[in-house]
Amino acid sequence: MTNVRFASLSASVSIALSCAGLAACGGEDEFPTNSCADVTTTCVQISGGDVAGLQNAANSLEANTTIILGAGTFAMTNSLTIRTDGIHLLGQGIDRTTLDYGATTAQVNGVDVQGDDFLVQDLTVLDAPKDGIRVEDSDGVVFRRIRAAWTAVSDPTNGAYGIYPVKSKRVLVEDSRAENASDAGLYVGQCEHVIVRNNEVRGNVAGLEIENTQYADVYGNLAEDNTAGIVVFDLPGNPIVGRDVKLRDNDIRFNNHINFAPGGTVAVIPVGLGTFAMASRRVEITGNTYEGNNTADIALVSGLIIESDETRWELATATLNGTWEDLALQPGATAGTITNFRSENIVVAGNSHTGSGQQPDTLDPNMFGVLLVLVYGTNDIDSILYDTIGETSFHSTDAGMNTNDNHICVGGNAGGTFASMNVEVQSVENIVPFFRPAAPFAPFDCTTLNGGAVVAPTL
Amino acid sequence: MRAAGSIALAALTALAACGGDDGGGGVDLTQPPVVDVTQPPRQRLSEYNLFAWDPEAGYTWNPIGDRVVPYDLNTELFSDYALKQRAIYVPPGSSIAYDPELSFEFPVGSVVIKNFAFPGDLRTPTEDVTLIETRLLVRYADGWRPLPYVWDDTQADAVLTPAGDVRSISFVDDLGTQRTSNYLVPQRNQCETCHARKPSDTADPEMVAIGTKARHLNRTYDYGGAAGAMNQLERMSALGLLTGAPAPATAPMAYDFRAIATGGVQAIPAADVEPAARTYLDINCAHCHDPSAVQGITSQLFLGHDNTDLFRLGYCKRPGSAGAGTGGFEFDIVPGNPDISILYFRMHTEEVGAMMPLLGRSLTHTRGSELVHAWIAAMPPDDCSGGQ
Repeated sequence: MTNVRFASLSASVSIALSCAGLAACGGEDEFPTNSCADVTTTCVQISGGDVAGLQNAANSLEANTTIILGAGTFAMTNSLTIRTDGIHLLGQGIDRTTLDYGATTAQVNGVDVQGDDFLVQDLTVLDAPKDGIRVEDSDGVVFRRIRAAWTAVSDPTNGAYGIYPVKSKRVLVEDSRAENASDAGLYVGQCEHVIVRNNEVRGNVAGLEIENTQYADVYGNLAEDNTAGIVVFDLPGNPIVGRDVKLRDNDIRFNNHINFAPGGTVAVIPVGLGTFAMASRRVEITGNTYEGNNTADIALVSGLIIESDETRWELATATLNGTWEDLALQPGATAGTITNFRSENIVVAGNSHTGSGQQPDTLDPNMFGVLLVLVYGTNDIDSILYDTIGETSFHSTDAGMNTNDNHICVGGNAGGTFASMNVEVQSVENIVPFFRPAAPFAPFDCTTLNGGAVVAPTL
Repeated sequence: MRAAGSIALAALTALAACGGDDGGGGVDLTQPPVVDVTQPPRQRLSEYNLFAWDPEAGYTWNPIGDRVVPYDLNTELFSDYALKQRAIYVPPGSSIAYDPELSFEFPVGSVVIKNFAFPGDLRTPTEDVTLIETRLLVRYADGWRPLPYVWDDTQADAVLTPAGDVRSISFVDDLGTQRTSNYLVPQRNQCETCHARKPSDTADPEMVAIGTKARHLNRTYDYGGAAGAMNQLERMSALGLLTGAPAPATAPMAYDFRAIATGGVQAIPAADVEPAARTYLDINCAHCHDPSAVQGITSQLFLGHDNTDLFRLGYCKRPGSAGAGTGGFEFDIVPGNPDISILYFRMHTEEVGAMMPLLGRSLTHTRGSELVHAWIAAMPPDDCSGGQ
């Protein structure tokens, strides 16, 4: 047994070594898309399927090395772990190079990275025990033309996150796919300066999620057949306060997938939600195409929906990261703290809405869908819903009796309908009629953010 | 910038040239240890000449100059019931600097040695023992380097194995239950999952040793021979390996797990449950769950022995990105109710994707799990509804 293992290790090492820097190695069939001939840095080519060669290379890296994987399936038994700066990991294409973790017993992420200037491109990560590709605490991260997926549909034992940059800066995710994640398919958490564009997310609980993140431009993505399509929120207790997030020109359609999350915040998301913004500020939701999301297209809600104790939203200002001083965040009850549960300063404009809100989820644990059914009966749910938490005044019919303290702007939404509700007193036993003004939805008829438009990320 | 990878590919060439068939085991305990940090890591563990291993006789530490000293911890990290034997090597003419809180500062050329072995039956821990791996932390001029060595089937020597390994290991545990571990020999890069600490929020992580702290070492060890049983800090000081240590009575001391290992949590006084549990979390969790560790920062759950912020210890705290790790529960700790506390669930479950720690555990540690259960159960109850 021992001898066999050593023998295979020897063979793979010699392949890896002989391939280093040699463009011809492996032949054209195995490296049709990317090869060491294309790069000027230190470069290692790994033959398709050579797991030991890949692991030996990954655990012996000098900084600024390119690893090129040949076409084929790598039957992984452990994470591909990278702890070096400047590593580029390239395969031969989503359909040609696969890191397959179906037989991995260790509780690991598929690709697990901490290292600045990381690039992953042209490969698939399949059936990872935990997250597909997790990149943490890194500056300068690119995901390009990759797929992070699980084979089983609607399986709560699938990994949590597919494409998962977290606590990182200058992140680009493009032309990639995330499928069947039991939490979020494409998740950007605690990051600063992010572009997420032209990706496709399907079959996940949350399709695309921007959480506790500053300066994110999210455009050209397709979110289809998830429980919820594209969402943005802050969680309590996190030292990065989300801000300046732009969701524009995305296609968010038929997100009616059963909620199969085994737990976590997303487990309470009603099925059939296009977008929600929760505990968020300085968000623009513009130019998106919404279609066939059965509960509603857009919900704007306070963080108190998931955590009603305001003290748990307190953050000591001394611990905050990123830029927050200009946000005029509401002070906490404890000296030296702010809170970020409010959703405020949000513009929703110029989106198109077709065929949504026709079959609200009546099984979600917070009974949001039941409430909608009780209020709307057999009528379609309005396109844009607002919970009015934090408003000083609510009235069901008199626009002049409604305040807009949170600066929620839906004035530029000729294509959509709008309703606000007094969630603080709502219950299934005590239905308070919604406020359903005609366009332009005064007093929510503003069209621009306070403090200027969303600031674009700098990569 | 991070340090470059430390095992050159060239070093692997030497590995490729090695067969698996020579008996190895070239340890000569009439000669001193050989640790040359100007050279690449050695391919075979025996080349360091630190200790000899015999499945029947156990470990024999290199006695030359008394520079290799074995030690135990008051409470140790659980690793699927692996039996661990630890030692330090400190080169002649230098010494470790004591610190009351952090891991001690070791001089260049030092080695922290950790052996992982399994007997057939943990109730007879010296019989039928197989040594699986030896992990070295070697102190180079630019910091610690982790070097994983895997023992061959003849138990004669161990070979540097940066890619790690996964093995199915069956044994009978301390309570007589048959167990099978999917035992992970970490790949080199996974060492940083536990052995990394950020000196400041903006700095890159650096490698650190975990167990070599005053509170964990402050206990008695039976050295045999003339030394006999004595306090480990005293022994290391007496040999000149450690400088600056106070008398053991005034040094910090973590909880000694031995009574729980023998009799379970019910064998210790109720007042000891909290310090025992906090020590258990400190050594098993706080290398990540600490404000100085990457993942701890991400989770905002801090389980170090000195954390007094109850919210960030988990009281009524919702997890961040826990995914499947919640077990369907809402809060990390629901005081008084361990069975709906995520912290207990994650350290108790054997479900892949939910288990904590992330690495090194595929089995439930029955005694440790009972301890944390008892600790949460004894807290003044709070249903985490915000006082309503």
